[in-house]
Amino acid sequence: MSSLLLLNGSPRGTRSNSMKMLTRVGEGWVHGGGDEPEVLHLALEQDRTRAVEAFGAADTVVLGMPLYADSMPGLVMGFIETLAPYVGREGNPRFGFLVQSGFPEALHSRPLERYLAKLATRLGCEYAGTIVRPGGEALQVMPDRANKKLWESLREVGKSLHVGGEFDSLVLSRIAGKERLSPTMVRVMSLASKAPVTEFYWNGLLKKNGAWGKRFDAPYASA
Amino acid sequence: MKITIFNGEPDASSEFDAYVHEVAAQMATSGHNVETIDLRDLDIKGCSGCWGCWAKTPGECVKRDDTEQTCRAVVHSDLVVLAAPMVMGFTSALLKRMADQMIPLVHPYGLIEGGEMHHRPRYEHYSLMGLLLGAGPDTDTEDIAITQKMWSRTARNLKTRLAFTSVADRPAKEVAHELATVA
Ligand SMILES: Cc1cc2nc3c(=O)[nH]c(=O)nc-3n(C[C@H](O)[C@H](O)[C@H](O)COP(=O)(O)O)c2cc1C
Repeated sequence: MSSLLLLNGSPRGTRSNSMKMLTRVGEGWVHGGGDEPEVLHLALEQDRTRAVEAFGAADTVVLGMPLYADSMPGLVMGFIETLAPYVGREGNPRFGFLVQSGFPEALHSRPLERYLAKLATRLGCEYAGTIVRPGGEALQVMPDRANKKLWESLREVGKSLHVGGEFDSLVLSRIAGKERLSPTMVRVMSLASKAPVTEFYWNGLLKKNGAWGKRFDAPYASA
Repeated sequence: MKITIFNGEPDASSEFDAYVHEVAAQMATSGHNVETIDLRDLDIKGCSGCWGCWAKTPGECVKRDDTEQTCRAVVHSDLVVLAAPMVMGFTSALLKRMADQMIPLVHPYGLIEGGEMHHRPRYEHYSLMGLLLGAGPDTDTEDIAITQKMWSRTARNLKTRLAFTSVADRPAKEVAHELATVA
């Protein structure tokens, strides 16, 4: 009862925020006494083919992904389509998920979470829960050592997945943080977003790429 | 009225595909300017999360594929109809791969809207959106509710709204008429 398959659904593949987080979930699983997990990246073609087969053989599967335009990336939906033959099969794995997003509030990911819970039910899998983490893009910018608390929480849910068969819901709510912005934050950010100078991260990238002067381009404006 | 249908049916010989084209024909008969884009015939490379469309070639995907057509349609139509069969409780991956590549239509810059974080618009006009679903044998009302919820949030993130949702289980003429009156 201890084989874990980690499926990384980020189109960025190995160098993604999803993978950073899944790695810690896997570490917690091992701390809890589970075997070293198998890791597959859906962005890699050979892994994608292998993933369908590996899904059927695993005891537990965790599928991680970024939120893309308010649902799963097309890449992940393509993989989900290939799971159709598993619907209702005996001996399907326990299935858990990880969704992380760019915006700072957890609420953006809730409809997808609802979809994923239903997906587990549809397949006839036991549902292990969904890790929701907003503000995930910060992981690209911050050094890993600045995220010790998050890594620790992810290890905790990884461990609880092995020990109790599901993610610990208290730790899940700690990981999810703010459901929505507080009225004070709304006021502060409404003011800040009126001044493009404050858009530090994007302006930095635009300048580095020599594209700063084209930032307001609207290439499809004319018919 | 300019109406563009994004047809996310991968199978050209399905009943749903015929239905989508029938809806288009009905709307054209009533005098609308209707274009159907069969997504299966487009070169859609898929988003790889590189941020090139926001930080390298602002407003355009660096891969230069056919999603230029679908992006253009969003800012030049009155109504865009997202049509797709339901597979495993959601619209087809074909439709979603195209939708991921609509983010060049907005800015990376943030904006607070209805107390939530969203994007600043890059264009003045974004077409209304409609959802036309081909139910599968396993589709239930919960699947449709979840699918509608996700697409209505996508529409909102793209500075517009989902103004119509229907399952393809009634006469195409009826649906065509309703679609043409939402915009
Ligand atoms: C095409 C695209 C669409 C996105 N849509 C959303 C969105 O709707 N809401 C959100 O909060 N973040 C959105 N993001 C941000 C990603 O979820 C975020 O950057 C994430 O941390 C990327 O994870 P990864 O490195 O594992 O791919 C989007 C990113 C891309 C590239």
